[in-house]
Order: sequence, then structure tokens, then C-alpha cells
Amino acid sequence: MKCRVCKQTAAVALPSHHTAFCPECFSAYFARQVERAVHNHGLFEPEEKILVAVSGGKDSMALIHQLAAQGYNVTALHLDLGIPNSSGPARAIVTAFCAERGFPLRVVDPEEMGLAIPEVKAAVKRPICSVCGKIKRHYMNKITYEEGYDVLATGHNLDDEVARLFANTLRWDRDFLGTQGPLMPAQGKFARKVKPLCRLSEFETAAYCFMQGLHHGTAACPYSHGASFTGHKKLWEDLEERSPGSKTAFYERFLTQGKTAFAPHAHQDRGPLQDCRVCGAPSNLETCGVCRIREQLLAVKETTAARSGTKRPPETSPEAAIS
Amino acid sequence: MITVHLEPEGKTLSFDTLNTVLQLLHKIGKRQSQALVIRNGELLTQDRTLRHGDEIVVRGVTSRG
Repeated sequence: MKCRVCKQTAAVALPSHHTAFCPECFSAYFARQVERAVHNHGLFEPEEKILVAVSGGKDSMALIHQLAAQGYNVTALHLDLGIPNSSGPARAIVTAFCAERGFPLRVVDPEEMGLAIPEVKAAVKRPICSVCGKIKRHYMNKITYEEGYDVLATGHNLDDEVARLFANTLRWDRDFLGTQGPLMPAQGKFARKVKPLCRLSEFETAAYCFMQGLHHGTAACPYSHGASFTGHKKLWEDLEERSPGSKTAFYERFLTQGKTAFAPHAHQDRGPLQDCRVCGAPSNLETCGVCRIREQLLAVKETTAARSGTKRPPETSPEAAIS
Repeated sequence: MITVHLEPEGKTLSFDTLNTVLQLLHKIGKRQSQALVIRNGELLTQDRTLRHGDEIVVRGVTSRG
């Protein structure tokens, strides 16, 4: 198989585009896809300060690397979730990567704010992926909004977006269908959020990391077993194999033709926003979801301490811990 | 003999005869879009020929949380 551009031996075949590229031409293709996402969806402007959520996985590493290569002003944000045998190695990868490439790095540790994920997992009855996601989104938004960044960029790729769109469609969730896409505009205390990799599959981000020599984590989160999106991705891989380009068509045509039908319902099912009485974050209820989780966790700890006859040390307030 | 290292599973497999990357992917039950196939630091497309003595890395790309 030959590169479509330069006719050298191809390193990557892309059936969805009926094409193949050598490493050099693939890197140019990758950059073009990011440029198109940024331009077509108006994600951000060249002078804006971009906070990039970097987990240590291939997508976020590829994202910050590519945005920096295009000259954007990027800062990495890493959330250390405190998950045994997972978060430590991920933090080490991100720290080494940012030091090597000269990217400013902001690390947030939810455990310092009374939200150690292993303890949360033990205390709540909901699926931990949902709760962990809520906590991550809360702090990513908080840092972006309060520390003066213009926009938060995440490494969600085409496969992530298709799996999410598929899940939202299965439920006909008109609220989420009305807001899904690569651009979530700023609203009140919600910072603008963007997904510049929305035109690229995870195969493509993995190939990009390999070609650029970006060392990234590959271990699965030990808590993610049975996550529904993983099953949805497998279904879509089958469909894409039989009909290349299905994922792109499903997603892109939703954005151009389907989303407008749901846009009037965006946010309508959630009720008006108010400031959380504890942390001030935007919330539909008097207390935001993350502060409710923290209160639930505290209640479990107090019950446990009372049973064992020990006195629990006072918790650090979330606002004090984050600064 | 062709030696195949599966990542991130950490397994190693050996095959007496394999002609192409596509055959290898079929043998291990992976689709082309699910894994990078690497030989001597080079990515291989599914039409590439494999040779006796090759050491191949098959690196899964699907995020798992």
C-alpha cells in the first residue's frame, strides 16, 4: 500500500477515507483534521489561553502535543484521582512529558478536597465511572473558570463522540442531544469546553503518538470494567468494518442535520442554575452534585468512626484545599 | 517462526506461518482499526508481508476507561 500523497510505503491505512499515508504525510493529515475542527466549529482563537485536560492516555497527549505544534498557548491540567496502581503511573507520565516538552502543568488532587476516588467508590451506590466523571468535570470547569483560561480542551476523539451520541440516541436524551458536539459555549460559571480531536479516531491518535514518539499510559482504569461506552465502541467497530465511514457520517450529519432538532430542548430538562451553597459552583440544586458526594462520603466516614469509637479528623474545606 | 507480542495484554504468541499482517490480525481476532502493528519501530499496514524471524508488536488502541 502506498501513501496517497508521496507514493512512499504507507504506514497507516484509513479505509474510512479510502486512503493511506506514510508517517510524514499522516502527521500533516492529523494536523489538518485538528485545524478543520477548530476552524469549522469555531473552537478557539490563536491568542486564547487553552487549558488541556491531560490524563496521560494517548488522546490527551496527542492533543496537547498537536495544539502546541500549531502554536497555541496551552497549559496541561492533570487530575490525580488517587486510584491505586493507576493514578500514580499516570501522573508520572504526564509530569515527565510536560517537563520534557516545556508545557506548564497544573495538578489537582481530589483526595485533598475530601474526594478520594477509592473512598467515593466504596461510599456511593451509583456506577463509579459516572461519579468520577462528575468530579473530574467539576474540577476541570472550576480551574478553567477561576484561573483565567479562555477554554478547556479535552482529548475526546471521534470514537468517544460516536459512542456518546449512540448512547444519547438510545435513550432519546433530548437534553444531551441538544448540547452534544465539539463546542460547548461558556454559560455563566460554566467555561467553554471543546473537543479538537472530534474528527480523528482513536486508531489515528494512537498512530500519531507512535510516530511522534509520545510515551503514554495504556493501562485500563481498574474501576472501568463493564463501562457501557466500551460495549458501544465494539458495536461501532463492527459497523465501521462493514461500512467504512459510518462513524464519521453518523457524527458529522448529526451535527449538521440532527442536532438542530434537539437544540430547543438543551438544558430545559435540568432547571435553572444557581450557585452551590457550599462551593459556589453552578448547580441545578441548592448543593451541587460534587458537594453532595462529599457530604455523603463524610456521613459514611462519621458512621464508621462512631462504630469503631474513633474520632474523625476535621476535613479540609474544598475552597482552601484547591488554592 | 514469527513472534507476536500483544500489548497491553502482555502475552507473547508464536506462529509458524503467517503471510501478511491481515492474516495475523485475523488469527488474533483484531480488526485493523483496533491495533497498531509494529515491526522494528515501523507501523505496518495490513497488506504488508511478514517474514520468518519477525518480531511483531500488536498494540491495542481502544481506550478502556
